[in-house]
Amino acid sequence: MEPGAISLKATGRGRRRLLVNRVAESSAVLAAVLAIAVLAVVIWSVGSRGVGAIDLDFFINGPSSDFFGGSGGIAPALAGSLLLVGVATVIALPVGVLTAIFVSEFAPVRAGQQIRLWLDVLNGFPSIVIGIFVFTLAVKTKVPVLGIGLHQSAIAGGFALAVIMLPLVARSTMEVLRLVPNHLREASYALGVSKWQTVMRVVLPTSFGGILTGTTLAVARAAGETAPLLFTCAIAGQIVDWNPTHSVQSIPLTIYLDSESADPALHQQAWAAAFVLILFVLVTSLTARLLLERSRKKLGL
Amino acid sequence: MTKRLIILIAAGAAVLVAATAATAKSTDTTLTGAGSTFVQPLVAAWTPAIGKAFGYTVQYSGVGSGAGIAAITANQVDFGASDAPLTQAQQSACPDCIQIPWALSATAVAYNVPGAPAHLNLDGSTISKIFLGTITNWNDPAIAALNKGAKLPDLKITPVFRSDGSGTSYNFTDYLSSVNASWKTKIGVSTQPAFPAGQGAKGSAGVAGLISRTNGAIGYVDVAYAIKNHIKFAAVRNKAGKFVFPSLRRIEAAALAYNTVPANNELHIVNPPKAASLAYPVSTYTYVIVHKKSAHAPELRKMIFWALTQGQGSQFAAKLTFAKLSTNKKVLVAAEKTIKQIQATGN
Amino acid sequence: MLARVEAASIPTGSLPRTRRLGDRIGDALLYGLTALAAILGVLVVFAIIWRVADGAWPAIKFFKLGFVYHNVWNVNLNGGSFGARDLIIGTVVTSFGAMLLSGPISIAIGLFLSELAPPAVRAPVGTLIDMLAAVPSVVIGLWGIYVLAPFNANHIAPGIHAVLGWIPIFGGDPHTESTVFTAIVVLTIMTIPITSSICRELFIGVPSELEEGSIALGATRWEMVKTVVVPSVRGGVAAAIMLGLGRALGEAIAVTQVIGNFIPMGRSLFAPGDTIASRLANQYQGASTDRQIAALIYLGLVLLVITFLTNYAAQRIVKRLEFQRTAGA
Repeated sequence: MEPGAISLKATGRGRRRLLVNRVAESSAVLAAVLAIAVLAVVIWSVGSRGVGAIDLDFFINGPSSDFFGGSGGIAPALAGSLLLVGVATVIALPVGVLTAIFVSEFAPVRAGQQIRLWLDVLNGFPSIVIGIFVFTLAVKTKVPVLGIGLHQSAIAGGFALAVIMLPLVARSTMEVLRLVPNHLREASYALGVSKWQTVMRVVLPTSFGGILTGTTLAVARAAGETAPLLFTCAIAGQIVDWNPTHSVQSIPLTIYLDSESADPALHQQAWAAAFVLILFVLVTSLTARLLLERSRKKLGL
Repeated sequence: MTKRLIILIAAGAAVLVAATAATAKSTDTTLTGAGSTFVQPLVAAWTPAIGKAFGYTVQYSGVGSGAGIAAITANQVDFGASDAPLTQAQQSACPDCIQIPWALSATAVAYNVPGAPAHLNLDGSTISKIFLGTITNWNDPAIAALNKGAKLPDLKITPVFRSDGSGTSYNFTDYLSSVNASWKTKIGVSTQPAFPAGQGAKGSAGVAGLISRTNGAIGYVDVAYAIKNHIKFAAVRNKAGKFVFPSLRRIEAAALAYNTVPANNELHIVNPPKAASLAYPVSTYTYVIVHKKSAHAPELRKMIFWALTQGQGSQFAAKLTFAKLSTNKKVLVAAEKTIKQIQATGN
Repeated sequence: MLARVEAASIPTGSLPRTRRLGDRIGDALLYGLTALAAILGVLVVFAIIWRVADGAWPAIKFFKLGFVYHNVWNVNLNGGSFGARDLIIGTVVTSFGAMLLSGPISIAIGLFLSELAPPAVRAPVGTLIDMLAAVPSVVIGLWGIYVLAPFNANHIAPGIHAVLGWIPIFGGDPHTESTVFTAIVVLTIMTIPITSSICRELFIGVPSELEEGSIALGATRWEMVKTVVVPSVRGGVAAAIMLGLGRALGEAIAVTQVIGNFIPMGRSLFAPGDTIASRLANQYQGASTDRQIAALIYLGLVLLVITFLTNYAAQRIVKRLEFQRTAGA
């Protein structure tokens, strides 16, 4: 090297460190690319294999009764899933939001921690065990309202889904309630407004967007759950049925049953139903995210 | 904006409800049933005809014979369907339950062996050894001995069995127990046998699917599913020494070989004696199971009687490889007599 | 003009109640309702544990703890002989295998999204990976059967077998589609989004002064991550991985579609197997004897215990690592 000129090129240890850095960065990029690639492959597979079966018939008719003939549609499963998710939301939304209000507005710190802990435990329960639980509670024994007629029903299935949704709704609502600035509450109290009025008129409206987001994400999760429905709402007929005391078909179960079939027509139905389900789940998740962004902006965060 | 969005979604949902409700039939009587996937194609074929004849809507769910028995025991459905007769334990769990044979078909031994001859011959001993895991390759001398002159590939055998509670499993293990004493002691007859080798799949459709996807697979599935999915099935050697396929004549021959019908209608027609030279040895009846005291007793009586008579017509049964129940008059008479036991719950 | 106020006329106790009746009722009602909801939520947890234990009790009495280390599942033998050993092993192997694969990948993705990606790319890529979390397990299972399993059987498994086939767990015939290995890959795909999104939040949360300080001292980006970022969020990363593990342990549907539903477990990953959740999904509906039903619920109880212990261990690990970080920093 010429005297006076300093080479900025790394040598020896320095070069090794840069190499390690390059390898590490490449691996990280590779990992992300891999994950996205898998997602793309999944959506592409589902879309390309299922799109052939999607027509108006698919949405309006039920399965065909001709064993060797065509395959009909998934209308009963579509209606059933809507019913199940509806029942689940009607149960989980009030209980989840009220729980979150209790933890955020009323409960002492220790009690709040305990409740959070048990909700986390509930979140970790395998969904199939929750299905067995609701089966023993609502299908096998006669619990008032829930165990209607001792047979499988959309109410039992919806209740199982609600148990799965509850921790998600409660936790996300708790987070949003926490984000409501305290000065809003304090201003309300200072004006002499009672606690319940403050909650209903100030806190909840401010956090409405976040609550909606949390519920939407929970709905997306519940719409795709199969295991709890296996024991609570699996024996169902082949027509569209909106009666919640009856057992109804559902999209995830239809995909599950058709997925193992050898019949190419049923296959295609499974892929098409999966496509519809993914679309629904992705759209609701994206919507939830957008709503969250909007509500965050509104709160000035 | 959000409020408007919500109203829009609610309106859309209401329209969807109205549209689908309009296409759904209004039901005066709905008969719910659950159970065997074996008989599911036949029940699906019967459903529109029963609707036309009586106005009943039949809602049948193929969840497997085991689940069907569990469902009817717990009174969750109006009728259960099972290819396996009630065991003693199941009968005592449901003392009010009666079983009526209402269809007759067979279990095919289906395989997926690229390069195998068009018709493969197998016998009970070889099949049981395959499923015991002692014969592991398609070019095994035991298989070759049954298929003289055929070129069998060097391919691993993958036995495929039902992972759920299945009457077809019952029928298959019933047959294996009667041809192989060590199967009888080691594994026995059951709707959920502990198969010592292979892979499991759920439902008849699942087994048919797994066989189609797996080179070298062999499994048991009812004939209709094998035919529908273009899966080859084996000619099984009967006691008379003939290799027979599960066709209508051969199933009927098996049914005719057994002429005593016990009081509880439990019929085993596997491995018929030598005299039935045409019989297919893995044939089976399949049963509808109802409570003696049923909420929809008159409708159930009508439906089951229709199934035993008109339901056996060729446009329903033969098309799906179900032989006529009337083949064996004694069975038909016993079945019709049992229907009379269904009474309405005390009103 | 000053009014003379008698000392005795100033109330020294609590202020007179001036709130309206409606408000008092409203407050009490809201308190009552919300407390009731919270109690219900917690009660459900105990109700689940109680009903499962209650349903399993006949099997617990009959099989006792032998259930956990015997390996048999025969409805016919001696009126029903059940032992969950290989099911437990299958559950643990598939879940831990998925954790081993998804842990590093999730951390790498978290790093990518927080440190390495150009800002314009971060939001869309992050959203895309969250979308993967939203895909229902039955769809991943369906995809697993028809796309992943053949791909594994024809390309990946033989590739691994060619290089590592001398190790028993990679031995055997790699050309089977429904195997423990396929199940591990499926579970990995399902847990990566959960773990990586938490990791991303954690890495973003590391104070930038710490990161910039280490870079100013001459560290490469990787060294900065290794010495500053990772140590400060070790607890959170561990919790994230355990969360993914918990999800994998309980997954029934996607696993049962690809794992082959067979026990006993062989030594190789390229053979069919079974897990607790998968066996429950297959057999519970059709369970024919009371003993079998109780044994299956006993299985459910075992799964609950495993999940519970995993979550508990996760919390302990988090506490330990947090303690190390704050105390030793």
